Amino acid sequence: MKDKIDTYLKKDKRNISIIIIALVIIVFGALPFYSDVDSFFAYYLFLCLLYIILAQGWNLVAGYTGQISLGTHAFFALGAYTTAIIWLNDVTKTWYYFDPLVMIISGFVPAIFAILIGIPLLSRLRGDYFSFGTLAAAEVLRILILRGGTFTQGAMGLRLPAEGFTGMGIYYWTALLLAILATAAVYFITRSRIGLALRALSEDETSAASHGVHILRYKVLAFAIGSFFMGICGSLFAYYLFIVSPPAVMNLNWMFLPILICVLGGNGTIFGPIIGAFVVGALFSYGDVFVGQVHPMLSGILIILVMKFMPTGIMGLKDRIFARR
Amino acid sequence: MPGLSFVPQVIVNGILFGSMYGTAAIGLSLIFGTMRIVFIAQGAVIVLFAYFSFWLFDKLGIDPYLSLIPIILVSLLIGAAFYYGLFKEAAALKDRIGSLLIAVGLMFFLENFMTVVWTPNPRAVVTSYGFYAFNIFGIHLTLTRLIGLLLAVLATVGVSTFLRKTLMGTAVRATSEDVEASTLMGINPDRVNAVTFAIGIGLAAIAGTTMATTYSFDPVYGFEFAIKALVALTLGGIGRVYGALLGGILLGLIELLGTFFVGAGWSQAIVFGVFLLTLIFRPYGLFGGPSEKV
Repeated sequence: MKDKIDTYLKKDKRNISIIIIALVIIVFGALPFYSDVDSFFAYYLFLCLLYIILAQGWNLVAGYTGQISLGTHAFFALGAYTTAIIWLNDVTKTWYYFDPLVMIISGFVPAIFAILIGIPLLSRLRGDYFSFGTLAAAEVLRILILRGGTFTQGAMGLRLPAEGFTGMGIYYWTALLLAILATAAVYFITRSRIGLALRALSEDETSAASHGVHILRYKVLAFAIGSFFMGICGSLFAYYLFIVSPPAVMNLNWMFLPILICVLGGNGTIFGPIIGAFVVGALFSYGDVFVGQVHPMLSGILIILVMKFMPTGIMGLKDRIFARR
Repeated sequence: MPGLSFVPQVIVNGILFGSMYGTAAIGLSLIFGTMRIVFIAQGAVIVLFAYFSFWLFDKLGIDPYLSLIPIILVSLLIGAAFYYGLFKEAAALKDRIGSLLIAVGLMFFLENFMTVVWTPNPRAVVTSYGFYAFNIFGIHLTLTRLIGLLLAVLATVGVSTFLRKTLMGTAVRATSEDVEASTLMGINPDRVNAVTFAIGIGLAAIAGTTMATTYSFDPVYGFEFAIKALVALTLGGIGRVYGALLGGILLGLIELLGTFFVGAGWSQAIVFGVFLLTLIFRPYGLFGGPSEKV
């Protein structure tokens, strides 16, 4: 009898969380109808959604396999440049502006790049070598873009035709959709066989390998899926900015922010990156407005303080509070 | 194609320039070897010391090589303070993401702090003897760069001797081999780590003074410099003092020869290409096998 009640309650709890998630998505999805989409607040939300996509991509690799990638900005830029190059050279003969085909290709190009650099970097080397390697690959990519001649227009960057721009609404909804998809992808991957393998190898690689987990395959897979989302995020940002240039899309902030977001929110959790994105997004965009020049200095101090006193992030803090009761 | 007669000059410049990377790489190597911390803020710290040197020269007229002595003393204290204040917990847990982020935070802070205090304009210490130069077999050698090389070699020999001959140095080596075992042998890991960090930052002070006297610098130059030091470290092999210096010199050579033959923009691509190939084929560095350490 008690078992029955327990399972019933468990099911009930699960239903409640599904309802809550659905409500949150509806509230966010309907936001453009009752709020001004072109306001600063909507811009902030759009930025937070972009951060969520990037952070989930990073979270999948770092949080679940323990590999610290320092190449997020490269995948982001690769996605943005793929979109721009396809559009300007008229490759796919479609309508380009918010074209799902172009966006998906912009995800696949970084994913292939991730596989290409992931196989050599993840097979023989572990941990820090992977970090250095991704950073170096990103630097090589930056130089290729800067020296790409008419193909990438070097430091000038590519300018996209902005005639199609109608308003922020479509940006917001696409970003929301992608953020939901990225979060769902991380959720389902971590609850599947792949997720089990990833967790096993992040705990103890040697032991996982001896239990028949094909380490390299799963690591590269996670890395490629993460890069896919980063690339689509870059594509969306290219549509937003209409100028794809190294200072705009290869900015190191695109690498550091996802890391900060994941760690602040809680690395290796589903909701950590979401909470982290809103907090970091608020600190950075409103910090610019209110404290101006000093804000990067305060951000530096903040990163240090968070890492020193809250190394498990906000999600970890929640666990600690509930554990104490 | 410029004349090949310049090649010896380029090689010499590469060695002189690379020795600065080498000094920074030794510091990184020690910090990484004992604590597994990727101290990406090293470049920003080097630039900070370059500013100290600049400031003492500009405001008080103290010669940069004279001010090196107090700066090194201060830097040792700063290094120990960094360890106890920032990295102690992360080092104990071998938490690489944590320590990397703390270093990133430190870098953010220092870069912007320096921008606010000293403005983003490039600076350089110009001494009366700064342009004094020799000509040996047609190779132009400035005195300040030679002193820079000399300081780098002295620092390398000093650190190497410290690690081999002193009790504390032996403890540092033991900790970088195996923390648990060294702790069981009665070595206090905190003290060892603090000493290592102090030496790492002390080396940054030497690199900073060399940078101030021979090249111009600005607040955000540090990040690029730290990345180059990481490359030098990988080329030389983690945990090897002479390897790090050689790696730095090799990097300087690759960079300047690449600039000379291929062009300034591409030389960076060559540097990182060599770095990637080294990571893939020789992850323990170009000099020696995986078993040798420190």
